[in-house]
Amino acid sequence: MTPPLVIPWGSADWTAIAPIIVIALAPLLVLLADLTLPRAARRPAALSLALLGTAAAGLVALAGWGKPYVAFGGGFVLGGFTIAFEEIVIVATLFSLLMAYRLGREDQTAGGLALMLWSAAGAMLMAGAANLMTIFLGLELLSLGLYCLCGLAGRAGAREAALKYLILSSTASAFMLYGMALLFGATGSIQLSALAGANLSAPLFAVGVGMFLIGFAFKLSLAPFHVWTPDVYEGAPLPVTAFMSVATKAGALAVVARFAYAALSTPQSHVLLQPLWILAALSMLVGNLAALAQTDMKRLLAYSGVAQLGYIVAGMAGTTAFGLRYAIFYLAAYTFMNLGAFAVVALLSHDREEGSRLSAFEGLGYRQPVLAGAMTFFLLALAGLPPTAGFTGKVLILAATVGAGYAWLAGVLIVGTAISAYVYIKIVRAMYGRTTGAEIKRPVVPSSPLPWIGVGLCALATLVLGLYPIAPSDVLPLVK
Amino acid sequence: MIWTLALAPMLLGLLLYAWPRSADAAAKWFGVAVAGCAFVVTLLSANAPDESVRWLQRPFTANFHAGLGGLSYWLVLLLTLATACALASTRISRQRDFVAQMLVLMGAMTGLFVARDLLVFALFWDLMLIPVFLILVAWTPSKSSASAWRYLIYNLTGGLALLLATAAYGMLEGSTDVLGATLGRGATAIGPAWGEWIFAGFAFAFLVKTPVWPFHTWMPSAYADLPPAAAAVVSAVQSKGGLYGFLVVTAPLMPEQMRAALPLMFVLGLVGLVYGAVVALVQDDAKRVVAYSSLSHLGLILIAIFSGNPLALSGAVVYVLAHGLFSAGLFIVLGQVEQREETRSIARLGGLGARNPRLAGSLTIVALAALGLPGLCGFAGEILILTGLYQTGAVWVAGIALVPIIVAAAYMLRLFQGIMQGPEVEDLPERADASFLELLAIAPLVLAIVLLGVNPGPVLAARSLAPAQLSAVEVQR
Repeated sequence: MTPPLVIPWGSADWTAIAPIIVIALAPLLVLLADLTLPRAARRPAALSLALLGTAAAGLVALAGWGKPYVAFGGGFVLGGFTIAFEEIVIVATLFSLLMAYRLGREDQTAGGLALMLWSAAGAMLMAGAANLMTIFLGLELLSLGLYCLCGLAGRAGAREAALKYLILSSTASAFMLYGMALLFGATGSIQLSALAGANLSAPLFAVGVGMFLIGFAFKLSLAPFHVWTPDVYEGAPLPVTAFMSVATKAGALAVVARFAYAALSTPQSHVLLQPLWILAALSMLVGNLAALAQTDMKRLLAYSGVAQLGYIVAGMAGTTAFGLRYAIFYLAAYTFMNLGAFAVVALLSHDREEGSRLSAFEGLGYRQPVLAGAMTFFLLALAGLPPTAGFTGKVLILAATVGAGYAWLAGVLIVGTAISAYVYIKIVRAMYGRTTGAEIKRPVVPSSPLPWIGVGLCALATLVLGLYPIAPSDVLPLVK
Repeated sequence: MIWTLALAPMLLGLLLYAWPRSADAAAKWFGVAVAGCAFVVTLLSANAPDESVRWLQRPFTANFHAGLGGLSYWLVLLLTLATACALASTRISRQRDFVAQMLVLMGAMTGLFVARDLLVFALFWDLMLIPVFLILVAWTPSKSSASAWRYLIYNLTGGLALLLATAAYGMLEGSTDVLGATLGRGATAIGPAWGEWIFAGFAFAFLVKTPVWPFHTWMPSAYADLPPAAAAVVSAVQSKGGLYGFLVVTAPLMPEQMRAALPLMFVLGLVGLVYGAVVALVQDDAKRVVAYSSLSHLGLILIAIFSGNPLALSGAVVYVLAHGLFSAGLFIVLGQVEQREETRSIARLGGLGARNPRLAGSLTIVALAALGLPGLCGFAGEILILTGLYQTGAVWVAGIALVPIIVAAAYMLRLFQGIMQGPEVEDLPERADASFLELLAIAPLVLAIVLLGVNPGPVLAARSLAPAQLSAVEVQR
């Protein structure tokens, strides 16, 4: 059945995208508050409204749980998978907002917050997108906001980051769009479900899949398509970097997972996905090796993110159902441990200077023991050490790869993790090691105490998820 | 109750960071009290029932399953006793933080030894690395953290191999809750192809941890740089994790792979045995002498475990505990010497015995236990192992194993003479002899050394964790 090109207003399934509507309308209130309220109240009001809107979207999304639903003629599929990804995006947005009190200049904050919410709406749309058009719509909605957000810091590096992101991301989008066109040409449909029945030997189809995956490997920053990541992360303001490190990845990952599981899950089409697992393996190695040499926390977390995304994609190797569940679990764990680490960096920032140099951590264990303890916990989680969600997540990913028959991938994962231990624990050493003058430095007074909430909640979630791992059970099927 | 034994010290350790810095000295006694309580509670819960809390249901079953039977009971006793004694005799800067880390370490190791689930075992295996790393980083005498990194990277690589093997085991068997005595079963379900890889993962982790030549290079520098109290606990108990793993994980679960690995392990064990003894003969740093002697002794235990002979196995169990007792004692006494004289160099030290008879007495007893004097615990283990090896017909192995035991007398006496005897060195600071408290700190270990040496029976009679192999011990007796 060919879906109608124009969906009549009355028959549109608005409830399926209700959370997206909520998070897309909230910025209007944010901007309105910024226009009408007195100067002193603008920042707090804008931030509160953004937080409230995001939280409301989260609650609305939860209400859809357990009611699988195909909306917009197959363009948007609601189910456990979609809601899990939507919630991850929302959590990432909430924690990023907590760091965003001083996003940009005073007159830029409200606009920045609004853009961040619209980007989140794009990522949430990608979470449920089940045809090529919705995928592209979500991706562009996500990216357009981020191009502006990256340049918000007002430093020279920020403008460079924004431009770099714009050009490279557009190039990737072009690849992906071309791939989509080829896929449409090969199958005559934009539905992902229609791709499953395609003639696999047709070169048109194989090239289309390849270009589509290359485009999304850019977005996921899988090696060797990760080169833009550290520069952009370093130049962008801290809350934007935090947002990008999780929300963007979650959106792109949802699309890749749906594409792999819905369009290419037959045994014959597995060969087309092999490159993806190889990219995952490369990411684990390249990301961790490159992170070894970094002296800036944002760059380090960028490379670490490359590796972490490698772990998550590896979980889906062989497109097993349990692998998808554990990949989602690891993504959730990564969300908390990664944003927790970002929140600590935010707390080490002054007005003028971001606390992202590694030297900011020297002797922190003696100056701010609680903050250092929390950071240690997040770093241990990122390194996959117990008793954290990172450890449990790694176990599940290992089980998934071994269970799917990809033992070599599990081996690479172990090697990557061993390298990553040095990356993360190097910072622990800086915090607790013997350093001259470490105890003399005065504690930093953070520009806003809000990230403390993020630190506390992320630490709690990282601990609890490690001991009570819950992964959404009804994630499949991804298309109807 | 059993989980409380593991969790309470960790929580109390973390809470200790809220302790006022002004009361640094009291923090030490708090630590001693916690470890002492843990010792008493363990002693009284010999027959405590297993505890289990569900962790994972899919993709395989894993439970927080704890038991205190068999070898676990004795190892937790050793751990708590060694921690209490080591903390009591410690004197260090930032004492509060040190005691906190030691308590976390004690809790994590308790968790390791009571775990009846492979995945929980792997969890605590990784967890116990962190406090040791932090101690190495924060209290290392040198500016570089080379020893800390070497310790962490070696042991973590082992831990990751263990984790991968555990995950693969879980996927194949459907459950990792397999270490309990009631669940003891053979490894028939593990296919030959996978079985070897899984065994290799476990064995690598255990060999690095023990450590066995050629994976030992993290050990001398780590033991030398750790503060005496931490070195005592790590060498006495943490390094036993590897041998314990061979006894309770691979022996009952993968007997075939154990047999297949026998020639390799004999070679590794024998090389370590001889190499450790020879290097211990020429070391100048007193702590390194003990470190290399450990390499030698632990190689002997490894051979005993793999020989499969019941007598040698029971000897291995006794020697695991014996080595724990005397190496803890050695590190504690050497720490007391270092605190006084500010050096560990055997060449620099000398003639301390004349002015410090109590210190000399302590060192005499632990050194004699280490060199295997009959009547003390080292001998009980060695004689059982050697007799067992002789019984298996591996006479040449027993013969080679005998040589380093004789060399042990040489390096231990060299250590003792170099520090305590000979002419008094003029420029060494003169300090008071061991105080009553310091003697009290070493006394429980000495008592245990004698008790285990005179009557190792209770240890041998212990309900063992590894029914397939160790039940033979009881038949033999």
